[in-house]
Amino acid sequence: MSDKNNKIPFNEDNYTHNIERNNERKLDRRGFMKTLVGAAGVFAVSSLPWGAVAAKELMGLGEKEYPHKKITDVSKLPIGDAVEFKFPGDHDDAILIRLSDNKYVAYQNACTHLRCPVFWVKEQGEMICPCHHGKFDVKTGAPTAGPPRRPLPEIQVKVEKDAIYAVRVKRYEA
Amino acid sequence: MKRRYLGVIILAGILLMNIIFTQYMVHQYYYENYENVLIFGGLNIVLFPLAVFAYKKTINMRA
Repeated sequence: MSDKNNKIPFNEDNYTHNIERNNERKLDRRGFMKTLVGAAGVFAVSSLPWGAVAAKELMGLGEKEYPHKKITDVSKLPIGDAVEFKFPGDHDDAILIRLSDNKYVAYQNACTHLRCPVFWVKEQGEMICPCHHGKFDVKTGAPTAGPPRRPLPEIQVKVEKDAIYAVRVKRYEA
Repeated sequence: MKRRYLGVIILAGILLMNIIFTQYMVHQYYYENYENVLIFGGLNIVLFPLAVFAYKKTINMRA
Protein backbone atom coordinates (compact mmCIF):
# COMPACT_ATOMS: atom_id res chain seq x y z
CA MET A 1 0.00 0.00 0.00
CA SER A 2 1.25 3.40 -0.92
CA ASP A 3 1.82 5.80 1.91
CA LYS A 4 2.10 8.90 -0.19
CA ASN A 5 -0.90 10.42 1.55
CA ASN A 6 0.21 9.29 4.98
CA LYS A 7 2.34 12.31 5.74
CA ILE A 8 1.38 15.41 7.56
CA PRO A 9 0.69 17.59 5.71
CA PHE A 10 0.01 14.92 3.15
CA ASN A 11 1.10 15.33 -0.41
CA GLU A 12 -2.16 16.16 -2.00
CA ASP A 13 -2.35 15.57 -5.71
CA ASN A 14 -6.04 15.41 -6.30
CA TYR A 15 -8.84 17.63 -5.22
CA THR A 16 -11.18 15.31 -3.49
CA HIS A 17 -9.17 12.36 -2.07
CA ASN A 18 -11.89 9.91 -2.87
CA ILE A 19 -11.53 9.60 -6.64
CA GLU A 20 -8.99 6.90 -7.24
CA ARG A 21 -10.02 5.11 -10.38
CA ASN A 22 -7.78 4.10 -13.18
CA ASN A 23 -7.82 6.39 -16.21
CA GLU A 24 -10.32 8.67 -14.61
CA ARG A 25 -8.86 11.67 -16.42
CA LYS A 26 -8.64 9.94 -19.74
CA LEU A 27 -11.85 11.12 -21.35
CA ASP A 28 -12.21 14.57 -19.94
CA ARG A 29 -12.87 17.47 -22.27
CA ARG A 30 -9.21 17.88 -23.17
CA GLY A 31 -8.83 14.21 -24.04
CA PHE A 32 -12.01 14.33 -26.06
CA MET A 33 -10.72 17.30 -28.04
CA LYS A 34 -7.48 15.45 -28.68
CA THR A 35 -9.52 12.56 -30.05
CA LEU A 36 -11.36 14.95 -32.35
CA VAL A 37 -8.09 16.40 -33.65
CA GLY A 38 -6.77 12.88 -34.19
CA ALA A 39 -9.90 11.99 -36.15
CA ALA A 40 -9.35 15.05 -38.35
CA GLY A 41 -5.82 13.76 -38.94
CA VAL A 42 -7.16 10.35 -39.92
CA PHE A 43 -9.49 12.01 -42.43
CA ALA A 44 -6.59 14.02 -43.85
CA VAL A 45 -4.37 10.97 -44.25
CA SER A 46 -7.13 8.84 -45.72
CA SER A 47 -7.86 11.41 -48.42
CA LEU A 48 -4.28 11.20 -49.69
CA PRO A 49 -4.70 7.99 -51.75
CA TRP A 50 -7.84 9.38 -53.40
CA GLY A 51 -5.92 12.49 -54.34
CA ALA A 52 -3.09 10.33 -55.67
CA VAL A 53 -5.28 8.21 -57.94
CA ALA A 54 -7.17 11.32 -59.09
CA ALA A 55 -3.89 13.03 -59.97
CA LYS A 56 -2.80 9.89 -61.79
CA GLU A 57 -6.00 9.93 -63.85
CA LEU A 58 -5.61 13.64 -64.54
CA MET A 59 -2.12 13.10 -65.90
CA GLY A 60 -3.59 10.59 -68.31
CA LEU A 61 -1.94 7.49 -66.91
CA GLY A 62 -5.32 5.81 -66.47
CA GLU A 63 -6.27 6.36 -70.10
CA LYS A 64 -4.16 3.50 -71.39
CA GLU A 65 -5.50 0.97 -73.79
CA TYR A 66 -5.64 -2.55 -72.50
CA PRO A 67 -4.57 -5.49 -74.60
CA HIS A 68 -7.54 -6.67 -76.61
CA LYS A 69 -9.14 -9.66 -75.02
CA LYS A 70 -11.23 -12.26 -76.73
CA ILE A 71 -14.59 -12.69 -75.02
CA THR A 72 -16.30 -15.40 -77.03
CA ASP A 73 -17.13 -16.53 -80.53
CA VAL A 74 -20.06 -14.99 -82.38
CA SER A 75 -21.52 -18.42 -83.06
CA LYS A 76 -21.64 -19.27 -79.37
CA LEU A 77 -23.73 -16.23 -78.44
CA PRO A 78 -27.32 -16.26 -79.72
CA ILE A 79 -29.21 -12.97 -80.06
CA GLY A 80 -30.58 -11.86 -76.70
CA ASP A 81 -28.10 -13.83 -74.67
CA ALA A 82 -25.35 -12.61 -72.41
CA VAL A 83 -21.97 -13.89 -71.42
CA GLU A 84 -19.83 -12.83 -68.50
CA PHE A 85 -16.16 -12.14 -68.79
CA LYS A 86 -13.34 -10.31 -67.04
CA PHE A 87 -12.01 -7.05 -68.37
CA PRO A 88 -9.60 -5.31 -68.10
CA GLY A 89 -8.24 -7.07 -65.00
CA ASP A 90 -8.83 -10.57 -63.75
CA HIS A 91 -11.10 -9.27 -61.01
CA ASP A 92 -13.15 -6.78 -63.04
CA ASP A 93 -16.39 -8.55 -63.82
CA ALA A 94 -18.05 -7.58 -67.06
CA ILE A 95 -21.00 -8.71 -69.12
CA LEU A 96 -21.50 -8.83 -72.87
CA ILE A 97 -25.03 -8.80 -74.29
CA ARG A 98 -25.94 -9.46 -77.89
CA LEU A 99 -28.93 -7.25 -78.73
CA SER A 100 -29.27 -8.01 -82.42
CA ASP A 101 -27.29 -9.42 -85.31
CA ASN A 102 -24.52 -6.86 -85.20
CA LYS A 103 -25.26 -4.96 -82.03
CA TYR A 104 -23.29 -5.89 -78.95
CA VAL A 105 -23.09 -4.01 -75.70
CA ALA A 106 -20.70 -4.68 -72.85
CA TYR A 107 -20.48 -3.18 -69.39
CA GLN A 108 -18.48 -3.66 -66.28
CA ASN A 109 -21.26 -5.22 -64.30
CA ALA A 110 -20.39 -4.18 -60.76
CA CYS A 111 -23.48 -2.23 -59.73
CA THR A 112 -22.68 1.44 -59.20
CA HIS A 113 -24.55 1.36 -55.93
CA LEU A 114 -22.71 -1.23 -53.86
CA ARG A 115 -20.92 -3.30 -56.49
CA CYS A 116 -23.14 -6.34 -56.60
CA PRO A 117 -22.98 -8.16 -59.93
CA VAL A 118 -25.60 -6.87 -62.34
CA PHE A 119 -27.11 -9.53 -64.60
CA TRP A 120 -29.12 -9.53 -67.79
CA VAL A 121 -32.77 -10.56 -67.70
CA LYS A 122 -33.69 -11.50 -71.22
CA GLU A 123 -37.44 -11.70 -70.65
CA GLN A 124 -37.70 -8.20 -69.20
CA GLY A 125 -35.06 -6.69 -71.43
CA GLU A 126 -33.19 -4.95 -68.65
CA MET A 127 -30.17 -5.37 -66.47
CA ILE A 128 -30.96 -5.98 -62.82
CA CYS A 129 -28.90 -5.80 -59.69
CA PRO A 130 -30.19 -8.46 -57.27
CA CYS A 131 -29.09 -6.72 -54.08
CA HIS A 132 -31.43 -3.72 -54.07
CA HIS A 133 -33.30 -4.12 -57.33
CA GLY A 134 -31.35 -1.51 -59.21
CA LYS A 135 -32.10 -1.53 -62.92
CA PHE A 136 -30.01 -0.37 -65.83
CA ASP A 137 -30.87 0.48 -69.39
CA VAL A 138 -29.25 -2.12 -71.57
CA LYS A 139 -28.56 0.25 -74.47
CA THR A 140 -26.72 2.94 -72.53
CA GLY A 141 -25.95 1.48 -69.13
CA ALA A 142 -27.80 4.35 -67.48
CA PRO A 143 -29.60 3.58 -64.22
CA THR A 144 -33.37 3.50 -64.61
CA ALA A 145 -34.61 2.35 -61.20
CA GLY A 146 -33.46 1.64 -57.70
CA PRO A 147 -30.59 3.08 -55.71
CA PRO A 148 -27.80 3.36 -58.32
CA ARG A 149 -27.25 6.87 -59.67
CA ARG A 150 -24.28 6.43 -62.00
CA PRO A 151 -24.22 4.52 -65.27
CA LEU A 152 -22.31 1.28 -65.67
CA PRO A 153 -18.92 1.79 -67.31
CA GLU A 154 -19.25 0.71 -70.92
CA ILE A 155 -16.72 -1.50 -72.62
CA GLN A 156 -16.07 -1.03 -76.32
CA VAL A 157 -16.18 -4.28 -78.22
CA LYS A 158 -15.02 -5.22 -81.66
CA VAL A 159 -16.01 -8.15 -83.85
CA GLU A 160 -13.20 -9.65 -85.82
CA LYS A 161 -13.20 -12.95 -87.71
CA ASP A 162 -16.28 -14.30 -85.92
CA ALA A 163 -14.92 -13.55 -82.49
CA ILE A 164 -15.78 -10.72 -80.11
CA TYR A 165 -13.01 -8.75 -78.48
CA ALA A 166 -13.08 -6.28 -75.62
CA VAL A 167 -11.11 -3.21 -76.65
CA ARG A 168 -11.27 -0.56 -73.95
CA VAL A 169 -13.33 0.85 -71.12
CA LYS A 170 -15.17 4.03 -72.08
CA ARG A 171 -15.01 7.12 -69.95
CA TYR A 172 -18.10 8.56 -68.41
CA GLU A 173 -19.53 11.55 -70.17
CA ALA A 174 -20.36 13.50 -67.06
CA MET B 1 -14.95 25.46 -12.66
CA LYS B 2 -16.68 27.08 -15.57
CA ARG B 3 -16.65 24.94 -18.63
CA ARG B 4 -15.94 26.32 -22.07
CA TYR B 5 -17.29 24.29 -24.89
CA LEU B 6 -16.23 26.56 -27.75
CA GLY B 7 -13.26 24.36 -28.64
CA VAL B 8 -15.34 21.22 -28.64
CA ILE B 9 -17.93 22.88 -30.85
CA ILE B 10 -15.33 24.13 -33.32
CA LEU B 11 -13.65 20.72 -33.50
CA ALA B 12 -16.97 18.94 -33.94
CA GLY B 13 -17.73 21.36 -36.80
CA ILE B 14 -14.37 20.63 -38.39
CA LEU B 15 -15.06 16.91 -38.14
CA LEU B 16 -18.46 17.40 -39.74
CA MET B 17 -16.82 19.24 -42.63
CA ASN B 18 -14.29 16.39 -42.86
CA ILE B 19 -17.11 13.91 -43.31
CA ILE B 20 -18.83 16.08 -45.93
CA PHE B 21 -15.63 16.65 -47.91
CA THR B 22 -14.75 12.97 -47.81
CA GLN B 23 -18.18 12.03 -49.10
CA TYR B 24 -17.90 14.60 -51.92
CA MET B 25 -14.39 13.44 -52.72
CA VAL B 26 -15.35 9.80 -53.09
CA HIS B 27 -18.44 10.58 -55.12
CA GLN B 28 -16.61 12.97 -57.42
CA TYR B 29 -13.98 10.30 -57.93
CA TYR B 30 -16.54 7.84 -59.20
CA TYR B 31 -18.12 10.56 -61.36
CA GLU B 32 -14.58 11.01 -62.75
CA ASN B 33 -14.41 14.72 -61.99
CA TYR B 34 -10.83 14.42 -60.86
CA GLU B 35 -10.22 18.14 -60.34
CA ASN B 36 -12.96 18.16 -57.71
CA VAL B 37 -11.39 15.13 -56.03
CA LEU B 38 -8.16 17.08 -55.63
CA ILE B 39 -10.02 20.14 -54.34
CA PHE B 40 -11.94 18.24 -51.69
CA GLY B 41 -8.96 16.10 -50.75
CA GLY B 42 -6.93 19.28 -50.32
CA LEU B 43 -9.66 20.80 -48.16
CA ASN B 44 -9.66 17.64 -46.05
CA ILE B 45 -5.93 17.93 -45.51
CA VAL B 46 -6.12 21.66 -44.72
CA LEU B 47 -8.71 20.93 -42.03
CA PHE B 48 -6.20 18.94 -39.96
CA PRO B 49 -3.76 21.80 -39.15
CA LEU B 50 -6.86 23.91 -38.65
CA ALA B 51 -8.06 21.42 -36.04
CA VAL B 52 -4.68 21.44 -34.28
CA PHE B 53 -4.76 25.23 -34.30
CA ALA B 54 -8.27 25.32 -32.88
CA TYR B 55 -7.27 22.85 -30.15
CA LYS B 56 -4.25 24.87 -29.09
CA LYS B 57 -6.16 28.15 -29.14
CA THR B 58 -9.07 26.98 -27.06
CA ILE B 59 -7.55 24.49 -24.64
CA ASN B 60 -6.22 27.04 -22.16
CA MET B 61 -8.83 29.65 -22.76
CA ARG B 62 -10.02 31.22 -19.51
CA ALA B 63 -13.62 31.99 -19.08
